[in-house]
Order: sequence, then structure tokens, then C-alpha cells
Amino acid sequence: MSGSIERAKRGLIAEWRLHALSVVSLAVAFVCLGAALLVVVNLHELKERWGRTGRASVYLRDDAPPAQVEAIVAALKVIPEVKSVRYLSPADARAVVFGQGGGDPTLRNIPQEAFPASIEIDVAPEVGEAEVQAIVGKLAALPAVEGVETYGTWTARLGSVLQGGTLAALALATIVFGAVLAVVGSTMRLALTRRRAEVEVLRLVGASSSFVKTPYVLEGTFQGAIGATAAVAVLALLFFLVKTRLDADLAGLLGLDPTFLPPLVVLGMIVTGAVLGAMGGALGLRRLTAV
Amino acid sequence: MAGSSARAPLQPFLRAGSRDPLRGGEAAAKKPVLVFDGVQKVYHQPSGSDLHVLRGVDLAIERGEFVFVTGPSGAGKSTMLKLVYRAETVDDGRILFCGRDVARLTDDSIPFLRRNLGIVFQDFKVVPTWTVAENVAIALEVLGLSARLIRQRVAMAIERVGLAGRGGDRAGVLSGGEQQRVAIARAIVGEPALVLADEPTGNLDPALALDILGLFEEIHAQGTTVMFATHDRTLLDVRPRRILVLDEGRVTDVAAGLEHFGDDFVDEEDDASAPRAIVAPTRLRRVS
Ligand SMILES: Nc1ncnc2c1ncn2[C@@H]1O[C@H](COP(=O)(O)OP(=O)(O)OP(=O)(O)O)[C@@H](O)[C@H]1O
Ligand SMILES: [Mg+2]
Repeated sequence: MSGSIERAKRGLIAEWRLHALSVVSLAVAFVCLGAALLVVVNLHELKERWGRTGRASVYLRDDAPPAQVEAIVAALKVIPEVKSVRYLSPADARAVVFGQGGGDPTLRNIPQEAFPASIEIDVAPEVGEAEVQAIVGKLAALPAVEGVETYGTWTARLGSVLQGGTLAALALATIVFGAVLAVVGSTMRLALTRRRAEVEVLRLVGASSSFVKTPYVLEGTFQGAIGATAAVAVLALLFFLVKTRLDADLAGLLGLDPTFLPPLVVLGMIVTGAVLGAMGGALGLRRLTAV
Repeated sequence: MAGSSARAPLQPFLRAGSRDPLRGGEAAAKKPVLVFDGVQKVYHQPSGSDLHVLRGVDLAIERGEFVFVTGPSGAGKSTMLKLVYRAETVDDGRILFCGRDVARLTDDSIPFLRRNLGIVFQDFKVVPTWTVAENVAIALEVLGLSARLIRQRVAMAIERVGLAGRGGDRAGVLSGGEQQRVAIARAIVGEPALVLADEPTGNLDPALALDILGLFEEIHAQGTTVMFATHDRTLLDVRPRRILVLDEGRVTDVAAGLEHFGDDFVDEEDDASAPRAIVAPTRLRRVS
């Protein structure tokens, strides 16, 4: 085994250009996969967070008489499922978006009308989706109410986005797996033809088939693992660059707090890279038959 | 013999057949290393016609012999050797190496056969990117010997072929003659039962060819059995040696000298005035 590692090392050094090219291709493939996973992970996070907060926004017509609005607020306050009720005037809404200091100057040009007055309701977390929908239904029927938005509908929408994202990530994963096998396989085939003399010598001195092949499989494993690791490193760098540039106010508004891939996913990517690399290496050796 | 105390463990190929041929007892010592018994070889050519290269070859090579194999180009010298190291298989007959039928080996046991052979080619077949020592060591690495033992025996083999001190050099930078010495060191480092050489001097100038032949003779003098294929007549004439002449698919066994043969079997221009070391009348022998 140590001899195989030694020969794999020799091979990697002797053909470093070829192997570097292969690692770069693998890294690109894994960056795509990792980015898709990153999106899925964050959508999932978001859905979880939104799912937990039982909230609803009751948007009021601009011409709604204040008496009616007060009546609605009073009525909501006595419903046991409702934990808190808060009236937000257009000015309040604007302040929420921009923060106290004024926030992003481009956003400050958004006209006042863009922010309808609303009643913000917090529903107790133990209240089920159906009960929330019942209250929403009654509220929506009121003449002063323009519309009701619950996070429930958002959560549902997010759920389908998440599903699509997961499917896309799966499809991407399949493509990436195929690409890794193809890249490592053809790299090994190329390495093999370049090292034909070496293989011939090994055969001549009575090397067993596994003795001949093991270094190539090790090289494939190494390539896969390095490619995946490089991809994770690149993604991490991009992620933190984007995160620091992301407008904090906008992120807060969306309840978005981007998280990087969890350690287990990172580990999984690297292990997958290694395993696929080994398989690709073995695949590249298929034509290397006995004698 | 040098290094015999550090011999490789017995390989299954031998274990299953006779005892270790190099240290074997009296009985083993008397058994031929190599026997061809009615060997036929046909190449099926793409044109559709069959080429009968060997049409029933019988011969026996005893332990410690030095045998030339010669004959015109295309006679089947390389084919004969390939049959021994199982790069080709016989179509009929048997080839016994150390008592085992080579033709019946499974693909899995071919490596074990080759670990008991040392093979040298015209084109050296050294790995140019490896060092001299690495090129030689590979023959022992496949046996799984310890690194210390490999170092010792590699150093010894490199010295035997006259490359002492060059072990760390990249094989690619060596001259042709030196590369062939590396190949020879690789062939003998495992102390094989038989060394096969297929035109080992073919790529070298005449003086160098004689040097390399001399090296094979030294190796032979130390007890190694050598089968040396060549069509270079000057090599055959250096010393009286047993010669197997291959022509028209058959082997004629010549104890020494080639006078009674026409010169037509050698490709190269024959220099009749070249000194001949042969005195004894030739004796033809069929071995079965
Ligand atoms: N794999 C093969 N398929 C078909 N024909 C072959 C094959 N190998 C060798 N031959 C033919 O068999 C004949 C014997 O070839 P071989 O290489 O054994 O000759 P040789 O005596 O070694 O010749 P040389 O002195 O030129 O090396 C040649 O005519 C060659 O063309
Ligand atoms: Mg030949």
C-alpha cells in the first residue's frame, strides 16, 4: 500500500499539469453543486423560520375610516388565539423598512403610498394553520380590509420553491456526478497512455493487476477530494463576500440570515468527491486488461 | 551467489510446482529450466491467411546454460520468448518452465511466472522519469519485500551491471548502453530462474553490443540461465555457445558454431573474414 501511495505521488508530480487541470474541472463542477445546495439550505432555513412565526398582516384600504380600523383592532384583541395586535400607519411601515436612521438612500425615494397602513397580528405558535385561515377569511371580508397576508401562504410558496430548488440540486448533482466520473476517467486514461511505459514495465516484472491499478485509483480519489475541497473553499469565500455586501436592512426585512453549508454537507461533498474520483479512476482503467 | 541469503520468499508459481529452482536439491538441479514440447504457434493475420511461426518446436534448456536463439528476421525468435513469458499462448504443445506448463496458467498467475523470469528487450523498456534505482527496485517492489532489503539488493544489482553511483540519476538521461544496463539490473535483481533477452544489443553500436554481451556472460558465469535471441552474427561468433537456429518454424540445435549453415539466415552482411572462435565440428541435436 505504501508503495502504491508512493507511485501515486510520483504520478501526480510527474503529470501535475494534467492532474491540476482535472482538479480545476472537478472544482468547477462542485462549485455549481455547492451553490445549488447553498440555495436549498438557505431556502429551507427561511421556510423553517417563517413556518414558526405565526404572523399575519391585515392591509387596510387608504380610505378606511379610522373608527372601523379601531373596531377591528379591538375585536382582534379579544380573540384568544391572537397574542398581540399592532396598528402600523404608512409612516410606521416606512420607518420599519428604512429603520430609524433612514437606511438606503435609493429606497428612501419610494413614495409614501407604497406603504399601506396595516394591522400586524401575532398568532400564538400553537395555533394551527386552519384556525389562522379562519380568522384571515373573516378579516378579508371586511370592507376596510384590502387584503390579508399570512406567512402561511408565503411558507407554502417557499415550500414549492424549495421543492423546485431541491429537484434542481438533485438534477445538478446527477450531472456533476457524471462529470466527475467522466473527467477523472479520461484523466486516468490519458495518464495511463502517457505512462504506458510504466505499465508495460510493471507487467513485465510480474506486478499483479491490483498493484498496477491501485495508484491510479488513489490518484482519482485524491483528485476528487481536492476538487471538492477547492470548490468548498471557493464557495465559502464567495459566500462571505456576498454576505458582507448584502444590505443588512433588506436581509432583516426578509428575515434572511444566510448560512453557509453545514459541516456535514461539506464533509459529504468531499467524501463524495473522493468516492467518485476513485470510481472514475477505476473506470479509466477498464481497458487495462490483463497481460 | 551474492544476495542469496536475502532471497525473495517463494512465489506461489514455484511453490505449486518444483522447489525453488535456484537453491533446489539435486533432483531439481537436473531438471531443465525450460522445455518446449511440440510447440506450435499460428498467427491469424488480418488478411485472413494464417502464419505458422512455430511448427512443432522441441528443445530443453538446462539450469546454468547460456543459449543463443537466432534465425532470419521474422523467423519467430521474439515469438518463442513471448510464449515463455506468456505474452502469447501456444496453439499446440507444452512449454514447461521449472516443471510447470506455462500455457495452462490462468491470467491471475501470469505475474507469478514473470517474477521468476528476467526479461530484457532491444528497446530497454526503462521508465525515463524514474531514477535508475527506482527502475531496478520495481522488480522487487512487486514481491512486497521490505524497503531495506530492496535498497540493499538494488544497490548490489546496480553495481553488478557497472552503474555503481548512478542509482539516483533519472533513467531518461542515461545513454542507450547505460539504459540497457539498468534493464539488465532490473532483470537480474530478483535472481530469476531464467533470463530472456530479445535482441538486447539491437539498438547499440557494435562495441557496446559486445560490452552488453559480456555483461550477460558475467551474469551467466555467476549461475544464471540465459536465453539470448539475436541475429547479430558477430555476437554468436565471440565464443562457442549452444545456438538454437529457428527457421521455417523449426528449431535446429547447434552445439557451437554455424559454419555448416548458409549465411542466408542472417540479415546482416556477413563478413567472412571476421574472426571465428569456433573450432569444434558442429553437432546437430534434436531435443525432445
Ligand atoms: N501479434 C502478431 N500477429 C500477427 N503476426 C505476428 C504477430 N507477431 C508476430 N507476427 C509475425 O510472426 C512472424 C515472427 O515474428 P517474430 O517477431 O517472432 O520474429 P523475429 O524472429 O523475432 O524477427 P526479428 O528478428 O525481426 O525480431 C513475423 O512474420 C511477424 O510478422
Ligand atoms: Mg524479434
